[in-house]
Amino acid sequence: MTLLILAAVALGAGIATILLGPERRRGALTVGLIGSIVVLALALAMPDTDSLIVGGVGMVSTPVVRAMAVAWSASLAVLGLLEIAVGGRPTVVGPSLIGLAVAGLALATRDPASSMAALAAGGVAGVVVPGLAGWLDGPDIPSRLPTTNRGTLAILGSGLLGLSVIAWGASAAGPLGGAGGPVSIDSGAQLSLGLALLVIVAAVAIRTGLIPLHVWAARFMEGVSPLAIPAAFAWGSAAFVLVALDWSQVALGPAAAGDVERWLIILVAMVSVVLGGLAAMVHDDIEHVLGYSILQDAGVAVLAFASLDPSVVAAARNWLVASATVKTALAAWASVVRTTYGGHRLDDLGGWARHSPALGVAFAGILVAAIGLPNMALFRARTDLVVSAMPGFGQVVALLIAVMPAIYLGRIAIAGLAQVSPAVDAGASGRPRWTGGRAAGWSEGPLTQAIRAIPGELRANRAPLMALGVLVLAVMALLTATGGAGG
Amino acid sequence: MNLALVAIVLAIGGGAVLAVSTRNDAASAIGVAIALVGSALLSDPLPSAAVLGVRVVAALLVATMIRSAMRTGPRQPSPVGWPSEALLATAGAVAGLGLWVGIASLAASGGGLVGGPGSVEPGSTGAVSTGGVAVTSMALITAAGASLLALGAAPLVHGRPGPRRAIGLVLVTQAVLLLRIGVAGPAVELEEIAREALLVVAGATGAVLAIAASSSSGREDAEPAGT
Repeated sequence: MTLLILAAVALGAGIATILLGPERRRGALTVGLIGSIVVLALALAMPDTDSLIVGGVGMVSTPVVRAMAVAWSASLAVLGLLEIAVGGRPTVVGPSLIGLAVAGLALATRDPASSMAALAAGGVAGVVVPGLAGWLDGPDIPSRLPTTNRGTLAILGSGLLGLSVIAWGASAAGPLGGAGGPVSIDSGAQLSLGLALLVIVAAVAIRTGLIPLHVWAARFMEGVSPLAIPAAFAWGSAAFVLVALDWSQVALGPAAAGDVERWLIILVAMVSVVLGGLAAMVHDDIEHVLGYSILQDAGVAVLAFASLDPSVVAAARNWLVASATVKTALAAWASVVRTTYGGHRLDDLGGWARHSPALGVAFAGILVAAIGLPNMALFRARTDLVVSAMPGFGQVVALLIAVMPAIYLGRIAIAGLAQVSPAVDAGASGRPRWTGGRAAGWSEGPLTQAIRAIPGELRANRAPLMALGVLVLAVMALLTATGGAGG
Repeated sequence: MNLALVAIVLAIGGGAVLAVSTRNDAASAIGVAIALVGSALLSDPLPSAAVLGVRVVAALLVATMIRSAMRTGPRQPSPVGWPSEALLATAGAVAGLGLWVGIASLAASGGGLVGGPGSVEPGSTGAVSTGGVAVTSMALITAAGASLLALGAAPLVHGRPGPRRAIGLVLVTQAVLLLRIGVAGPAVELEEIAREALLVVAGATGAVLAIAASSSSGREDAEPAGT
């Protein structure tokens, strides 16, 4: 029941935020922030196991649903505050709340067709709202509208493709249809199971923007606020992959992943893991690093389809929730750095960590969470996913994959410790300061004077406060990377 | 009852052909409405009043949004004309029937239910006899879905940004939703809500993007209104 209330509040607040956004920015942000805080409270109050029947379908709140709801809503509350500080059109909280609502319902619902339809419907706002805002803000870049068009088609197309293969699965010719029992695994049935697995992986590849279907995603990330990227890609994709994995495991089973299918899936996943990692290493602008690192994470998750083993699916749950939380913190860091220092290329960001120690500490936390330590859930999940897909040499590959974020995030960290560049020096200081908004000491002046000073002090300390927000997200990323999602 | 379903399938095809081929904005929106409302009614027996209400309201809402997008957008009639579109729709419907027969044969050979590829709808009565094959409502739903898919795919994939692409998006979405029922049987109530939400989102997204495209500087590629 708590999940239903959470979804209703998130959906209502999200739609209200989007509708209010174009005309009343402050009102929209207030509604969105209050909504995300209420949703966080509901997520924290949600029991680990809860079930009810809605519309003829059982809905079961599991630890994974709760973990995702808590992690997403908590990071969303911080992103909402950051969106207020960063400025610009409100494009983050509204679509995120809608995405959170449908993801929670989709993961709890026992009917995969309902889940897939809901995810397709709820995921579109995460692309359309920031995409159109980016297009309106960049009149000299008309290509942003076609990019939004392609993104919409990708989100809806992946959902419709998923819906189609789920319908096949439930048909009399599929493994769950007909007489209601499992079909015999002859060569024809094996072929159809394998094809169904490849189709659902294709839907996942379209949704997550895996290479070579990544062009729209890369262009999209260039034109929107970094704060809007997690809802569209990290969290939205995570929910989609989880639903697709659950269906594949139940409807197709491990038998669907024959040798040909397994190697095709590994190829698709590893192309994104390797090329995504390399692209993140060679790009100098932080939005591209963020985007390609999310793409690389999705590639690792797709490896779970290569075996469909229950333990690997559990690892995928941990990986998806933890990596989404880490990339949310990285997106917040990118947005704050861009807002504070104006630049987004490493050449312009020399000494950013020295100029803003809180941001530097937050980034160190993100770095550790992204790479992971051997006893962390994120590290184990990545290793399990890779080893299950490539037994024998998977351990080595997993270590190589773990090295990639160390390189591309390490470059940013090194830039932060370098000599302070003129652009960073000209930016707002990341250190807190007292502007003297109140003439007398705290113990002497009237209370009203102190209250009046608060807005001025908040404005004067915008940069350190934003850095504090990133620090909070980095701590959340570390906690989630350590504990996982209860998968 | 199945004769009524045949009439509804014809209406869906006719509405969709009208939607993608006419130069008249209002007629195009009416075509969308006919196709979508017809799809909402394409069921034997009819669903509960609540589900039917959700379906019809969603269909009309989508048609309204498409109409609103046409007010500002350029007119984009079919480049091949309505006879070609009608033939395409017919071919799609025949392909849909073939798909259904193929899956039914697979089900029959595997010991599944012969009356339909998926779980046969409760209370299904009086199939239309066509010689040796009984065309059930599921077959007609599959045919209608395939027909809409054939009509909507080209405007969606190759169409210029604008109302025509929005219509393509809506038709393809509705097509997949119909195929889902035709292949796998009726949806539960929760799925009905999710399906209609998906249809409304597709319509709203198509309409918003069409309006944005018409106001963008790149609209010189599109056919100007009134031509």
